[in-house]
Amino acid sequence: MPDLNPIDYAVPAFVLLVLIEMLWARRRKPDAYEPRDTLVSLAFGLGSTVAGIAFGGLILALSLWLYDYRLLTVGWAWWAWPLCFVLDDLAYYAFHRSAHRVRWFWASHVNHHSSQHYNLSTALRQTWTGFFAASFVFRLPLILIGFHPVMLAICAGFNLIYQFWIHTEAIGRMPRWFEAVMNTPSHHRVHHATNPLYLDRNYAGVFIVWDRMFGTFQPELDEERARYGIVHQLGSFNLLWAAFHEWIGIARDLRRAPWRHKLSYLWRPPGWSHDDSREGSEAIRARWMERTGR
Amino acid sequence: MATAAQMLGSLLAILALAWLARHWQLGGDSRIVDEAHARTLGQEALCGFDPVEVAVDRAGQGALLRDGANRVLLLRKHGSHFAARLLGSASEARLDRHLLTITPAERTFGSVTFDLGDAAAHWAAQFRHVGKLAHA
Repeated sequence: MPDLNPIDYAVPAFVLLVLIEMLWARRRKPDAYEPRDTLVSLAFGLGSTVAGIAFGGLILALSLWLYDYRLLTVGWAWWAWPLCFVLDDLAYYAFHRSAHRVRWFWASHVNHHSSQHYNLSTALRQTWTGFFAASFVFRLPLILIGFHPVMLAICAGFNLIYQFWIHTEAIGRMPRWFEAVMNTPSHHRVHHATNPLYLDRNYAGVFIVWDRMFGTFQPELDEERARYGIVHQLGSFNLLWAAFHEWIGIARDLRRAPWRHKLSYLWRPPGWSHDDSREGSEAIRARWMERTGR
Repeated sequence: MATAAQMLGSLLAILALAWLARHWQLGGDSRIVDEAHARTLGQEALCGFDPVEVAVDRAGQGALLRDGANRVLLLRKHGSHFAARLLGSASEARLDRHLLTITPAERTFGSVTFDLGDAAAHWAAQFRHVGKLAHA
């Protein structure tokens, strides 16, 4: 059984690539970076590493316990690795779609989107509260099928590493065949955009084919320049507020809502409210399409 | 021990990158240049918001926009971008000659002070509809 955390080895490359992109920004696009935003994004990265150390052992222990109840034993054959990687990416798609459509999961994921910038430091803007949100449940079915938790953890690490380089404006579009199959900077810019047309689209991790298959794909359009962040922009560089604001919002809504609506504030999409005082992405997109006639 | 060293290394790298971003003056200095610019930013911030009246801070740090339904949108600089809030009844405003200080209900958004020139008193009056107005 291999003992490998690929992210540990990737961190120096992450730092170097951020530095190279900052040099590019200095020459070509100075507003691609903002010092306070960069500091917050990188601090999120460090905090998520701490959270991983704190809770990773618990998740692994739970996974190993669950592995005893597996239906099959896939084992460590060479072909199991690519199969595990592809299925793990499908599980990531399911997680990621839920992270945008279920407010409980969104509360943990929102900090990855709350920067109004889109650069390599944004990629490191990872959650601190994924364990509490129980984001790991999306990978559990693969353990029950028979993939070893360590194999899954390694594949998940490489998945995360792949997603690093797509967080950039420095790359326009990749060759056509690559854009057709793989997640790319162009596809992922759409995912991070707040333009009504782009909201809640392109959930893919590595393979964009999942979005094409499940009807959530939206290509980047030249006439629709992406504006990044979240619908209700934070307007603050306070790290703790950025990390916990949605959880605090949920707590406030739970306190104020009538009893019969309380649970809906946990499982319905972000932006939902029992009195229609807010708007979610679907309503925003529908109104935009009505206004623009598209 | 190795984990602690790794954390310390990461922390130093973060501080170095943030320092470089500041040293190289990345981020620039975005300002609202005119009413049309403010209008575009307002429409982008809130889909369906059609401003009928706009006031831009003289330094271009932000703007106030009112739509046909008398909703007032506050736009203010946030780093090299802009962030917006619809001002509700819990918002507060304080008028001091040409300066209008606005505190949205969401305290983490922070207060802003705009120099609106002669229009400041007119915009302060808008707060009789949407929020609390105090005179300095």
